[in-house]
Amino acid sequence: MAETFLKKWGKQLSIAIFILLFLLPLTKMGFKTYLTLTIAGCAMGMMLFLIASGLSVIFGLMDVINFAHGACFAFGAYAGFSTFNALQAWVDANSWFLNFAAFMCAILAAVAVGLVIGVLLERFVVRYVYGSHLFQILITFGASVVLVEFIKIIWSPNDEVMAVPLTFQGNWDVFDVIILRYPIITIFLGLIVYGIIQTVLKKTKVGKIVRAGVEDAEMVQAMGHNIFLIFTGVFAVGVAFAAMGGLTISIWSRSVYPDMGGWYLIFAFIVVIIGGLGSITGSLVGALIVGLAYNYVAYVVPWAAAGVNILIMVIILLIRPTGLFAAGK
Amino acid sequence: MTDQTPVQIHRQMQRRKQFTGFPFYLKLALLMLFIAVPFLFPAFKSVDLALNVIIFSVLVASFDLLLGYTGILSFGHVMFFGIGAYSVAMLTGKYGDATYANLGLGFMIAIGITLLVALLISFLSLRVKAIFFAMVTLAIAEFAIIFATKASEFTGGEDGILISTFGVFKRSFSLGEFLGRDINGKMITYYFILAICVVLFLLMMRFIESPLGRVMQAIRDNEPRAEAIGYKTFVFKMISICFGCLIATILGALYVMWTGYANPESVLGTPIMVDVLLMVIIGGMGTLYGGIAGAAFVLIAYTFLPDLQKIAASLFPGIPFLHALMERWHLILGILFILVVLFFPKGIVGSIREYVTRRKVTKVAGAN
Repeated sequence: MAETFLKKWGKQLSIAIFILLFLLPLTKMGFKTYLTLTIAGCAMGMMLFLIASGLSVIFGLMDVINFAHGACFAFGAYAGFSTFNALQAWVDANSWFLNFAAFMCAILAAVAVGLVIGVLLERFVVRYVYGSHLFQILITFGASVVLVEFIKIIWSPNDEVMAVPLTFQGNWDVFDVIILRYPIITIFLGLIVYGIIQTVLKKTKVGKIVRAGVEDAEMVQAMGHNIFLIFTGVFAVGVAFAAMGGLTISIWSRSVYPDMGGWYLIFAFIVVIIGGLGSITGSLVGALIVGLAYNYVAYVVPWAAAGVNILIMVIILLIRPTGLFAAGK
Repeated sequence: MTDQTPVQIHRQMQRRKQFTGFPFYLKLALLMLFIAVPFLFPAFKSVDLALNVIIFSVLVASFDLLLGYTGILSFGHVMFFGIGAYSVAMLTGKYGDATYANLGLGFMIAIGITLLVALLISFLSLRVKAIFFAMVTLAIAEFAIIFATKASEFTGGEDGILISTFGVFKRSFSLGEFLGRDINGKMITYYFILAICVVLFLLMMRFIESPLGRVMQAIRDNEPRAEAIGYKTFVFKMISICFGCLIATILGALYVMWTGYANPESVLGTPIMVDVLLMVIIGGMGTLYGGIAGAAFVLIAYTFLPDLQKIAASLFPGIPFLHALMERWHLILGILFILVVLFFPKGIVGSIREYVTRRKVTKVAGAN
């Protein structure tokens, strides 16, 4: 009897439990802190979504595990760092327009660098190891080491301070609730990116081909499309998203250092395991869960913040090993 | 007499050839070399290098047990190394006096924790695709590093734990002279570690040759088939993971006996994992002796790299970019890693074995 009940209401029940869990911290803190933390958590979630979505789509379409994603993420952050250095005047100006212009240039720079690295990686490293997960992991791991060393050569092996555009700093005071500005910007950016991805995937012809490729790559090839070109394109776009994610996180934490890729790569893996490999909505939901959980727990029990995410990952692995969403959604 | 199965015939032939022939004498010579090092090259640097080669080759061999013989890639291997190191360090340094009893207790506790953690990790992540195992172990290993650094009350934080040698292993303890060298505690530690490592290595070899080891190789080659024949692959993979990680733990405990300190960077860090991966690939996956070759190659390269830099600087004085490149030798090692994985996946020992087998085949074919 319990089984049929669970089968019928299982999905709604789990969603209800989730919502309850996320309202739990309200008991430990005031409403205003809760709101601030929620916004910070959503912002962190959006940044993780950017890096995790690339990983997820690359696996969903090409069946390739990309361990070099973190290094590409770091490259994007450094590209943004250089852009901000070059456009120092715009960054320091107290004008929304100029700051946004600088931000857009940085995003473009990060995306461009990401695309270039993605194409190079795919053509010269990943192409030779299609089909064997083990070798993909090994080779992309080596590629990430090489990429990080290149960062150390081109820029410097030390930590660098990342400039933050002037109007992005600070906060708004809305009804006595402190809302930081930058997280809101990030949330909007993340939602826009998610919207763009879903539109491209669902409404354009290229998107249709990619979705078909996720389901059956051979058939798409048989239909006459150059699947390898599509692979390269998707890989490059995924890496570009990671680069964008790197840019946003570096502005958030105000620093860039060569090894930042490794730490966030682990978060991206946790997000992808929770959300499901191959699903963009899954990455969004997983990233939000991870971001929110991290921020709530970091406030209440600081040292367990990283651990709680591992706990969530463990729970998901136990009850639904393939992740929350199926591939391709 | 009933017909022997092909496997039994193969094993009988192997057993007959075990103690004859060139490979056996090579292995014996290697062992003799390791035994003789403290007498031939008494400088501390060489003995240290030799000991690092010994410990890392067994560590790499145990990693190869998982990677090359069972087909499981685990990024958490160094974490178990660290668990062994920290257990012994904590019990003989921080929380107890340096005695033999505490040393033994440290080993026992380390083994206990390892078994628990390995069982937990494998239970969680082997139920899904094998790639998840790599991701989960990476995450848990990173978390272990953070835990060791943050919980400084318990683990000594970033500075780690220092232990002092004691008893027979004490530096000032001396057994007298032998062949012109002073047998002090350091030498005794060296031989103690060498003996245990040899035992562990022989244990691993026995494990590989046993029926259990053969099932593991079957899982590596074609897991669905192994499952179809009737082996519970989940159980076998779990056993192999536990065994490999146990060996890593014991090695960690031995390592801390030699170096005398344990901090997150030296026994738990990611650079060590990268080194181990490099050694496995260069030495050869799927061959235990590849561990020795890979460890020797990489560690000797690390030792002589500063000299290489000087040579490069003197040969190309006007090209600072080359200097920068040589300084970033991790970059060169990374590129080497990629090239070896792409073009040379069998590594040193694997390629040698393949070459020898191919020559035997062509000899037989040519004779016909």
